Amino acid sequence: MTTESCNSTPDYTIACRMNHEAAALERLCQVVRIRGFRIAKMAVETQDGVLDIALTVQGTRPVTMLQSQLEKLHTVEEVILTTPVLAPATSRTA
Amino acid sequence: MNGAQHILEAFHRHNIQTVFGYPGGCIMPLYDALVDDVSVEHVLCRHEQGCALAADGYARASGRLGVCIATSGPGATNLITGVANAHRDSTPMLVITGQVPSSLIGTDAFQETDVLGMTLGIVKHSYLAESADELPSILEEAIELAQSGRPGPVWIDIPKDVLLAEAAVAPTCRPTPKEAACPDLTSATALLRAARKPLLYSGGGISLAHAEKSFRDFAESSGLPAVVSLKGIGNPGKHSAHNLGMLGMHGSRAANRAVDECDLLLVIGARLDDRATGKLEGFAPNARLIHIDADAAEMNKLLSTELTIRGDLNTVLRELTQVLRETPLEISEWRKQCQTWRTTGGFQAADNEEPLTPITGPAFIRQLSRIAPDDTTIACDVGQHQMWIAQYYQFDHPRHHLTSGGLGTMGFGLPAAIGAQFARPDSTVLNVTGDGSFMMNAQELATIRRYNLPVKLIIMDNQCLGMVRQQQELFYNNRECQINLDDNPDFVAMARAFDIPALKIERTDQVRRGIETILAYHGPMLLHVAIAREENVWPIVKPGGSNREMIDETRRNSADKKEKVA
Repeated sequence: MTTESCNSTPDYTIACRMNHEAAALERLCQVVRIRGFRIAKMAVETQDGVLDIALTVQGTRPVTMLQSQLEKLHTVEEVILTTPVLAPATSRTA
Repeated sequence: MNGAQHILEAFHRHNIQTVFGYPGGCIMPLYDALVDDVSVEHVLCRHEQGCALAADGYARASGRLGVCIATSGPGATNLITGVANAHRDSTPMLVITGQVPSSLIGTDAFQETDVLGMTLGIVKHSYLAESADELPSILEEAIELAQSGRPGPVWIDIPKDVLLAEAAVAPTCRPTPKEAACPDLTSATALLRAARKPLLYSGGGISLAHAEKSFRDFAESSGLPAVVSLKGIGNPGKHSAHNLGMLGMHGSRAANRAVDECDLLLVIGARLDDRATGKLEGFAPNARLIHIDADAAEMNKLLSTELTIRGDLNTVLRELTQVLRETPLEISEWRKQCQTWRTTGGFQAADNEEPLTPITGPAFIRQLSRIAPDDTTIACDVGQHQMWIAQYYQFDHPRHHLTSGGLGTMGFGLPAAIGAQFARPDSTVLNVTGDGSFMMNAQELATIRRYNLPVKLIIMDNQCLGMVRQQQELFYNNRECQINLDDNPDFVAMARAFDIPALKIERTDQVRRGIETILAYHGPMLLHVAIAREENVWPIVKPGGSNREMIDETRRNSADKKEKVA
């Protein structure tokens, strides 16, 4: 179920796994911003050259659009919408 | 072998023979390696933006990888417009920049900029090479990535010490290309068969996928009425009976009418750009949409689609052709209707036969289209002339039409023509430009002269920024602001200063001879074409408006009259 933030902008939680290369997190954050979302919460863990990122984002656009744009990033291995959303969550292995 | 030599080794391995660049401090080890290399032709442009746009033009004209090189700091920042241009139009490009030595990164060193950070949004991917040992694998991956799937620019930023460091020659195994499996087309075929008024809408994705022939076969064998985006011009070929032309803001009435009336829109290799669709609520209001593309992120991005198919366009088009050949579509009434629209709502520029009258843009382009050889490549710039080319020049192949579609980069045309001439040395290459755009990269005249490229330059000079003036006239109460260019330099004298012959024409009776003269000349030549300042591109859809609300000259005039009467 989609949760609602205090200003009525929907929140979505996303789990993202990507290679820990130069500018990896900047790349991720930039896509989130340019595709119309704001990062409300972010937790990052690093293990064996891989970043596991838990993101909470807010935005009024379809979050599946953000998911597909994140999946396009070359170093992203997987993007999972952990908050159920309008469209079914999917994942992709790079 | 040091890092710089590894770069040249990668060029050899991938048969990269032409690169466009400009040397400077941190990239000097690569230029030092180039001294001993006989197989890579380095083209020295006069500005890094020229290098990037020439690499883009080379890639578009040839279908191969474009490569540009620059130094750190200002060299890299000057590349940015060209790389953004390639990104927006999905041009396969490899960008290599020098960076300050690793130990100086982050110290505000001379000519240091955070290239990786500032270019994240305009590349398909980018790398900062941290050691010479990883450089060969980065190069392999970057070259493959730039050309695969939906192509795009890939940038490698390399610190000077990495270029100089010795690295073991690592054997690189290139992956064998796999035959792409064809996605299931059952639903697409069923939707096509159920439609009474299906319409084919193709874009730049066709040539990006090297699917020109598959597309032509499909378009002809299906007999689907077809529209194209700006980047799709040339897909159906100049002799196609089903082609209704470009849709969108400056599209043909026939194309926009067909989109408005169709009940199924088969979108192939196009991204439903806002200049093509106009106001989305009014776009193809009666149609179900099938969207076939290489990029999953384009699916349902702007319009929700009945059916999306992601895959290799060549494979999909061949399969669709096969299916429709076995059982053709029964849409003769719809074809007939579209033919009527094609006859009455295409682009019919009046040939201005009065010999002493001023030259008009559309009539000039029609004449150029008649006279220029079939394999002519035209690199245009951005503005009114760009739209006249799109409307009135008959292209037989999408790679013959080089236009900055996504980014709309004024200054694209001249360096892109340079790149195209290197890609197609035996073909006629024209840069058709405006007086505003020409001045954005005019320094590249020196590159044309240096390499004695037989590029022909045609400046359509209306002494102003015509497209901006047109929109100020139509949508801003004719309040002209900062569009006047009546103090342009003498373009003929300017060309001659670069040792490029030039001539000027200003009357209709001079057009044919002017065009024939520059085409017949063995080297570079410039034709300065004076056109009227007040001329507009028709039709036009107001930005943000629906494609149904096309404004043409007649309606504009009648609206004026109404206002005057009132």
